Amino acid sequence: MTSSPQSSPFQHARHSTNNIMLMVVAACIPGISISTWYFGYGILVNVLLSIAFALSFEAAAVSLRERHIQAILADNSALVAAVLFGLAIPPGSPWWIPFLGMGFAILIAKHIYGGLGQNPFNPAMCGYLFLLLCFPLEMTSWHIPSDALSDVQEFAPISLSGLQQSLQLSFPFLNLSTFSSNELIDGLAMATPLIESKLAGTSKLLAAWQTDQSMFSRSSETAWELVNIGYFFGGCFLLLQRIISWHIPAAVIATVLTLSILFYSPGGYTIYGTPYLHLFGSATMIGAFFIATDPVSAATTSKGKLVYGMIIGLSIYSVRVWGNYLDSIAIAVLLGNFSAPLLDHFLRPRIYGHKKGVAGPAGKGSDGDLGMDS
Amino acid sequence: MEAFIDKQLFQFVAAASIFIFLAHRLLLVRKYLRQEYLAQKSVVDQINSYLPQTQCGRCGYKGCLPYARAISRGDAINKCPPGGEPTILKLVDFVNEPGFRLNPAHGVFQPPLAAIIREDECIGCTKCIQACPLDAILGGPKLMHTVISSECTGCDLCIDPCPVDCIDLVLLPTPKPRYWLTPKIQNSRFNTLETDL
Amino acid sequence: MRLVENIIGAMRGKAGTPIPGGIKPPDYKQATLRSRLMPTPIPRELILPLIQHGSTRTKPLVKPGDKVLKYQTIACSEATGIVDLHAPTSGVIRAIENFAIPSPLNKESMCILLESDGFDAEIDHNAITDYCSLSYLELAKLIEEGAIFGLGGEGYLNRLKLSSGKAVKLLIINAAENEPYITADEALLREKAKLVVLGAKILQAACMAEHCVIAIDSNNTDAIEALEQTQLNCPIELIKVAPKYPTGSEKQLIQTITSKEVPSGKYPADIGILMHNVGTAYAAYQAVVEGKPCISRITTLAGPALQTPKNFETLIGTSVDYLLELCGLNQQDHTMTLMGGSLMGVKLARTDVPILKTTSCIIAASNAEFPPPALEQACIRCGFCADACPVSLLPQQLYLYAKCQYYSELISHGLNDCIECGACAYVCPSNIPLVQYYRASKEEIGNQLKNEMSSAQWKQRFQYHQYRAKKDKEASRESKKRGAVAKTDEAVQSAGSTVQNMLPTFSRESAKKEIAAAVDRVRKRKTRLIASSSDENTESSK
Repeated sequence: MTSSPQSSPFQHARHSTNNIMLMVVAACIPGISISTWYFGYGILVNVLLSIAFALSFEAAAVSLRERHIQAILADNSALVAAVLFGLAIPPGSPWWIPFLGMGFAILIAKHIYGGLGQNPFNPAMCGYLFLLLCFPLEMTSWHIPSDALSDVQEFAPISLSGLQQSLQLSFPFLNLSTFSSNELIDGLAMATPLIESKLAGTSKLLAAWQTDQSMFSRSSETAWELVNIGYFFGGCFLLLQRIISWHIPAAVIATVLTLSILFYSPGGYTIYGTPYLHLFGSATMIGAFFIATDPVSAATTSKGKLVYGMIIGLSIYSVRVWGNYLDSIAIAVLLGNFSAPLLDHFLRPRIYGHKKGVAGPAGKGSDGDLGMDS
Repeated sequence: MEAFIDKQLFQFVAAASIFIFLAHRLLLVRKYLRQEYLAQKSVVDQINSYLPQTQCGRCGYKGCLPYARAISRGDAINKCPPGGEPTILKLVDFVNEPGFRLNPAHGVFQPPLAAIIREDECIGCTKCIQACPLDAILGGPKLMHTVISSECTGCDLCIDPCPVDCIDLVLLPTPKPRYWLTPKIQNSRFNTLETDL
Repeated sequence: MRLVENIIGAMRGKAGTPIPGGIKPPDYKQATLRSRLMPTPIPRELILPLIQHGSTRTKPLVKPGDKVLKYQTIACSEATGIVDLHAPTSGVIRAIENFAIPSPLNKESMCILLESDGFDAEIDHNAITDYCSLSYLELAKLIEEGAIFGLGGEGYLNRLKLSSGKAVKLLIINAAENEPYITADEALLREKAKLVVLGAKILQAACMAEHCVIAIDSNNTDAIEALEQTQLNCPIELIKVAPKYPTGSEKQLIQTITSKEVPSGKYPADIGILMHNVGTAYAAYQAVVEGKPCISRITTLAGPALQTPKNFETLIGTSVDYLLELCGLNQQDHTMTLMGGSLMGVKLARTDVPILKTTSCIIAASNAEFPPPALEQACIRCGFCADACPVSLLPQQLYLYAKCQYYSELISHGLNDCIECGACAYVCPSNIPLVQYYRASKEEIGNQLKNEMSSAQWKQRFQYHQYRAKKDKEASRESKKRGAVAKTDEAVQSAGSTVQNMLPTFSRESAKKEIAAAVDRVRKRKTRLIASSSDENTESSK
């Protein structure tokens, strides 16, 4: 007898990790395209740069760890992390932002812990938070080409000059655009409407939100609305493909919605914002469907997933409304990641034939002591 | 104005109920951890449960429990040849002093043994009976002795006292090889690192 | 009486609670259902293992060279719970020796080799037409004599299942086979529905069950039609269950039909339920009504490497090779042979092995439908396995703990409740052979438990030894105080004298001689040892 026999089952379903990861990337495409349409090529440049850096860091880490480079790159997990990270950082970030972020995400948040499947925290969000702590200025100013902010009907962001401007912003040492990068930064910083409402502390933006606007007018409000709808449909595609389960997104959205309805008072404090603003005015959808559902770092039992989603929803709302940080998805997801192992331990499903989810521990107590010694 | 107060009250109630829910959960967790804590055995018992219970005395103590007490007072953990490396690994976990190899002064690790008396040579001196820490040898004065094989730990304490050298230590029949083995991780390039964990 | 209410609810068409999880693998059943169920021609040689189930052997009643008739008992059971072995055809016993038996490893076991003479001459057996008049004890005895096992593939013994001593409320005849290739039950029902129903009635009478139901996959339309045409007289009812693997597994089917769960570590009989396979029902009919012991079973021969896959009524002991040849094995495509289904079966190490009473299916696999196992990737904790698990375990956590050998956590996560159905490994996107991890862990835990038990026993004995030594010391101190040393000496001497009386050959002289001889032997051995060690020393010094 030399080796152990091959164990049943001998058949296998069609899902594979590589395909699952590719599907997640595919589901991001509507959101990415809408973002690009509104915010210019900066988004696309970010994503592509992140992918390039992520894959190189992954290859380096894998070769240091003496694993099959091709086999591990083929699982596409670095690709997903890169896409999510690229969407999280502001467009027009200089090239070293994705470089440092992906370096932290892949090397420290992922491979230090043992690679795919072992990381306790979402790598993309770790990278994002790392940058947010180190470079708060760069991480909070959204650069989009000058034409986009005003309600001009020209589609400047996706024109050739828009591409030039985006590249100029990402690679300041190139001289592609006639604008100097300083000029761009001065005039074109902006943030999500939610943040603006928080910073401004007035109901001006909310008023603008409530007025009728045509869907394709280039105001930042409708842009965010549509981007979120794009991610929502992407998420629904993942749900239909049974790649993610409904528990986490439903819990996140329901919690954010409930809290924002509870605390919304039209005449009173404006920092609470409308429920609609909370759901569609910021990164809630991509957070709920794509970031919080990262399987490796999320809770895995159904009850655990619901509580995990609730924790994330609660954190998103709390940080947004009462916290000091401007966007809260990353913090909320990391807080959820912290709680995931505990949730998995305590919220197990009931096992067939047992009264509880926990089967009795073996050999507890009975030690056979006769009480005769000593 | 009244509506505004109601709103605040509502918010307060909502926040309070969330707080109470979380506090309840935390209490449950605390209860669980307390139960776990209470279920723990005493230190000596825990060390003793890791020792193989052969009672051979090769560690220099009269049995496994005295040795466990000695360990709890700071004695070395590498004095148990019957337990060998697996026992040391378990104890290392426990006393937090890594890097011990079995101390050769106390003997070498051996596969499980059992004593057998060559009965026609036995003169019935009962010396082995007195030496056996488990009372696993049957016999009376001037009568033939024999070992209850299921109770014998192979501790070899009966070998030395025997005046006629009629006790042998034999290898127990080797246990059946494992049928199912944990699969090996195949994606290591040189198979140098065994698992990802 | 919730059980009965549930049954009635199920009879009205809503079939209990569906199992949690489960998978729906693609169905490959049509290929084998195309042709009719037919008996195999009698092969020239039959190999009959003496171990039919478990590890207890039957005792052969024949010698090499003996002539036997069909249905003749050729090996009898000595222990309880083991059934007799009958000759499947007439012929000559050629040998009783080790032959290969079905196993993933090259395992051999003692078997009877029967060479058939081709006449198929039967021994006298009496058919009973009025089985209705028999008492349940007589029926149970007849079934036992019929050497019937649970023919469902897991091979539970009938006797264990029939007379557990508990009142049986419900007898379930299991025809819900969800393995993607196995059609033996469906083919049997399609062709012999009436006999199966009679067999079910006999089983019901034998175990005195209050209710009897036949559970069948709702997509086995032919079999359902055949059963409906037999006009099942009450009390046997037909229950259609959702075609979801592993609904046909014993505990899962009970959950589906009655909404009850078998408590962990107990048997269905403990909650008043018995389950038998349709094959068992058919064999019970044959044993009781026709008086024929079980010498054959329905086996599905399926798989992409066969030109004409079909169901056979094969004699026990027929070689797998012979059956594969009958179905036109395509040697080029054939990569491996599976016994007992593609999801729970085993891969056979060799194919010159006999069909057993538990062999429900033989699959001749090809690379196209059964690709070699893909590279195992990292677990991404996607939770597909937890969704597929019919027992609501958390396979991803079990995998984690199995990998780092954290056995106490494995137990508390319910490893012992795992039914090894393979649904988790089937859906795993990272191709992790989860079932193999669990089997390895179960085996390791079993070994550890054995060691722990022996060390606990030793510990207890040592404690008792210390206790006794202490008591002895105290006793001797007491007696010294009393100055009664002489008394104890006397006692020892008297004990010695009784011993001398008992052993007439014992005398002081012979004992002295023996002691001298022993001391001599020791001295000789010691000098030899010293000599050899000094030899070594001199050699090493050189």
